[in-house]
Amino acid sequence: MITVDGLTKTYGNRTALDHVSFEVPKGEIFGFVGPNGAGKTTTLRILAALLEPTSGRALVDGADVIEHPDKVHERLGYMPDFFGVYDQLTASEYLDFYAACYRQPKARRKKVADDLLELVGLSDRRDQAVDTLSRGLKQRLCLARALVHDPAVLLLDEPASGLDPRARVEMREILKELQTMGKTIVISSHILPELTELCTMIGIIDQGRMRATGPVQDVIRQLTSGRRLRISVLGQKEEAAAVLKALPTIQEVAMVNGAIEAQYDGDDAAAAGILQALTAAGIKVSAFSQLEGGLEDAFMKATSEDV
Amino acid sequence: MNRIAVALWNPIVAKEYRSRMRTWRSPLAMTIYILLLGGLGWAIFSSTASAARNSFNGGLAANYGQALFLWLVLFQMVLLAFITPALTAGAVSSERERQTIDLLFVTKLPAFSILWGKLLASMSFVMLLLLLSVPIFSLVFLFGGIELDQVLKAFLVTAVAALTLGIIGLACSTAFKRTLPATVSAYGAAFVLLAGSLLFGLLFPTEINPNATKAPAPPAVTFLSPILPLVVIGTNGPINGYGIRYGNTFAIAQGGGMSCSSGPNGVQSCSGLVAPGKGIGFYNPVQPSGTTIPSGLFSGWQYWQATITMQLVISLVALIVSAVLLPPIRRLPWRRRARVVA
Repeated sequence: MITVDGLTKTYGNRTALDHVSFEVPKGEIFGFVGPNGAGKTTTLRILAALLEPTSGRALVDGADVIEHPDKVHERLGYMPDFFGVYDQLTASEYLDFYAACYRQPKARRKKVADDLLELVGLSDRRDQAVDTLSRGLKQRLCLARALVHDPAVLLLDEPASGLDPRARVEMREILKELQTMGKTIVISSHILPELTELCTMIGIIDQGRMRATGPVQDVIRQLTSGRRLRISVLGQKEEAAAVLKALPTIQEVAMVNGAIEAQYDGDDAAAAGILQALTAAGIKVSAFSQLEGGLEDAFMKATSEDV
Repeated sequence: MNRIAVALWNPIVAKEYRSRMRTWRSPLAMTIYILLLGGLGWAIFSSTASAARNSFNGGLAANYGQALFLWLVLFQMVLLAFITPALTAGAVSSERERQTIDLLFVTKLPAFSILWGKLLASMSFVMLLLLLSVPIFSLVFLFGGIELDQVLKAFLVTAVAALTLGIIGLACSTAFKRTLPATVSAYGAAFVLLAGSLLFGLLFPTEINPNATKAPAPPAVTFLSPILPLVVIGTNGPINGYGIRYGNTFAIAQGGGMSCSSGPNGVQSCSGLVAPGKGIGFYNPVQPSGTTIPSGLFSGWQYWQATITMQLVISLVALIVSAVLLPPIRRLPWRRRARVVA
């Protein structure tokens, strides 16, 4: 659905993007991760046909962003990281205006506005002036705006930035619903745990270069050497550690906050084998869990190479 | 709606109307406009009404009507020269400052439609102001001395000048990222259009052929200013002693060194005292022509025709420049071809 091939953007001597390439198949949620100034917004603006690349190609649903920006605009909804709203317009008028800008027929615009306000949970604010909405509500309204022409692709630049935890959760729920509607979504964010839960694919960008891209678990596995377990036992910590260290799949064992954390190499079957070995040795295991947050490790590893 | 209606009427216009007319600024601007124009009309009316009553049989009432009309059209032009750049100079740059312009660029509206919508919305307000001034202009007909066609021509010249200032303001708004420099440059352009072109006529006047009996036209640049045609329409007489001078034959040349007075119905009488070379002598001055341009590029045209033609050309150029500058990615035809070949 989205193809980015060797995308380069330079501003004078500064290279903002350096041969960035990735692909996002239809129906995927692609998380675009990177520190500030890494090139996320530049890439998204090029994909939205708002910025001309110095070299390389970007295609949205087969349409080249430079050759056919009109087709690109037809097929994608774009939500920038910073945006303003017009004064003196209500939420429904705001959506009606953008629906008209997308040449939606007048008879359909009201229904589109009502449906989208319902989707983003703003039905009760339809007659409120948009400039009086809170930041979280404006973000939701802007997301609704990006959907007025029912695009196949959504580009969301930091949609959760500046939102309180509740608003973030609500935004995430909306995005999940959009995923079930079959939209292909590219979302840039700093909030890694959210991306882990939401995204099916990920791209890590730093200093204009793509460090890793692919399905989330593949990228984590590619960048981190193993998976981690947290094991709580009743007493017998030393014995448990000794049993673990003797296992060939275990790479590292450490005591963290009264629990044992073990890094191991392998899949879920390997984890089951570790639990079996512990119980066979007579260790009373009270808790045994996989540690999440592998994306954070992957991100730190990918972005620390050149620092 | 047919295609033309769709092209002319776009969502930007409706949105701008809503935004503009829902604030207190628009009614306030209209009120101030009417108060200023009406105040001037009332002041001139009251100061001349008694004089007109006292000397009615001398045909002077018509002159008072003419004077009132001239003052009103000139003052209206100056007012609009202040208002119009303010309406359009922020049209695009304020969208940039509010970070709403990208949201427009990703829609199906072409850049020209965005410009057209902004222009139409701003110029509609100017047209509303012009319409509001019609009752004030009706005062003139109490005195007489002004025909309907003069009023229509004066309104046409004023409207086209306002349109030109509006489009120049829009071009400034497109060229500059911020509203402040866009506004300053739009007012600079308005000053050049109204006063700068007239100043050009004073600094670089047309030289009079010593053998000519009729006065030549001022330089064509001076027709850019709507002031010249408005004066011609208002007085129904020729431009007299402006933008022309005698050549090097004479020591005193500026303005032809003439003293002229205009009588009723545009009848002019002039006399000149000049110093030819080393001595002092009388010179039989050239006579001003009628309301048509006597010579030069627009020879035989009415002043107002030359002015609106030049202004419409400027407007067209400014509009094209704006349409080229506005899109985030400027896709000039030869650049597109080069890219495809590459």
